[in-house]
Amino acid sequence: MSEENYCMDCRRRTTVVLDRASGDAVCLECGLVLESRFIDETAEWRNFADDSSGHDPNRVGSPVNPLLGDTVLSTVVSGGPASGLSRLCRRPDPDNVLFAFNTIADMADRLSLVATIKDRACEMYKKLHDLKSTRGKKLEILAAACIFIACRQEGKSRTVKEVCSIVNGRECINRAGMKEFNRAVEFIKEKLKVEMGESFIEMGTANAGDYLKRFCSKLGMSHEDTRIVGETIHNLEQLDIRRSPISIAAAVIFMINQLTGSKISLRDIARVTMVGEGTIKNTYRDLQPYAHRILPERCVKGWDLKNLGPV
Amino acid sequence: MASQWLKDNQLPANFHQWFEENQAPDSELMSDNPSGPVPTIQNIVSTVNLACNLNLAEISLKTMNSEYNPKRFSAVIMRIKEPKTTALIFASGKMVCTGAKTEQESRLAARKFARVVQKLGFPVRFNGFRIQNMVGSCDVKFPVRLENMICGHEVYSVYEPEIFPGLIYRMKKPRVTILVFASGKIVIAGAKKKEDIFTAFDNIYPVLEQYKRV
Repeated sequence: MSEENYCMDCRRRTTVVLDRASGDAVCLECGLVLESRFIDETAEWRNFADDSSGHDPNRVGSPVNPLLGDTVLSTVVSGGPASGLSRLCRRPDPDNVLFAFNTIADMADRLSLVATIKDRACEMYKKLHDLKSTRGKKLEILAAACIFIACRQEGKSRTVKEVCSIVNGRECINRAGMKEFNRAVEFIKEKLKVEMGESFIEMGTANAGDYLKRFCSKLGMSHEDTRIVGETIHNLEQLDIRRSPISIAAAVIFMINQLTGSKISLRDIARVTMVGEGTIKNTYRDLQPYAHRILPERCVKGWDLKNLGPV
Repeated sequence: MASQWLKDNQLPANFHQWFEENQAPDSELMSDNPSGPVPTIQNIVSTVNLACNLNLAEISLKTMNSEYNPKRFSAVIMRIKEPKTTALIFASGKMVCTGAKTEQESRLAARKFARVVQKLGFPVRFNGFRIQNMVGSCDVKFPVRLENMICGHEVYSVYEPEIFPGLIYRMKKPRVTILVFASGKIVIAGAKKKEDIFTAFDNIYPVLEQYKRV
């Protein structure tokens, strides 16, 4: 490890130590690094005849995706017009699993979802594929339904309209599209009920509380205002308001914004929550009689409830 | 003594009239708790095979109360006023009869439609009359907390307020679908027999009471 070598700074032969961990040859007298990036050419591991454990230290190729499993080598031959070799490489992946995973990844990106949700959705799709349930169903809709269920399971629900809006090739969100989407969700729940057991279907339903934090932050509301919205929604759970929870959330946000005098307009709220402006107004009118009951007490004192005029 | 008793315990004079007026409807007699609400049958769909090929154009031309638009739908749509029902008559001779409120009405209506077709000269038969679907509705008169109901009965219920405001409850026994709305009104569909609707209502009523909104 240490030997005598000529050091440039000391201008004489000094003891030089080869540190294999960092790959440096260092002069002991002055600390100058004489040679870096030393390449160790000894064997990295030893092979034994009886050692057949799963751990294979050979590192070849890209990391194995446990969902895709055994298939999918990622080398392709390119260049030149459809030559025989590139045609061979263009072997289609069986039943579009890879394409489905890419679609799911795209849609998850559009919704800015974390990797856990995306992986859960991919896992769900793979299970469906193993059950051969993906045949005859539109891939994008199934993928979107997987994402929707994965979001629900993680507790980070996305509204049906939000998920429908990012489905490939479908820009408009209409009743027919949502019906088809809902059918896909029911289908997946039906098929995977046996596989994943009871905990799978215990997903519960959408309530306003899940969405309000996201809506508020998208609109740029302050933390205090967000908390007030949350408390208001919690208070109105006893009331009998026959409206979709998203509409209720939007109307409450609108009411709080009116009271705090912020610049967020009805149109912004309609855009972010994907609820129609007319619906928000109607829901707001439904809520108005109960305003003093549902708003948290500490805020009612500060505000002038007469500001809650008719819209 | 007996005659005295008889004089004391006469039936009131208008007894017969009172008796005729106060008959309990069939539906009440069939259910378990006749004092509570009972579902009313709103629609019955039945099918029958007339067992001969029909010339739909001829039928639609020769009858006043039918419409036939082959580009839109390949069947004659015929309506009769009593019982107020609609029939879809196909060229194969099969017929679907909808709109009746009782099973007897449905059968009667189907026979009337078959008679109409028979009078036009076709050798009709009345094979395999079968009731396919019965729909009933009811009001339990109290609002229901749907979001709690789905937590308790997740296996059977589907409630997605963004998609549809009602909770869709698929009961296994009897095999019917019940739409429950937050107002307390319910619709029971998919039954093949009247008893199924009443049994389903008796099954779902305690569940609705459990999730009553106070």
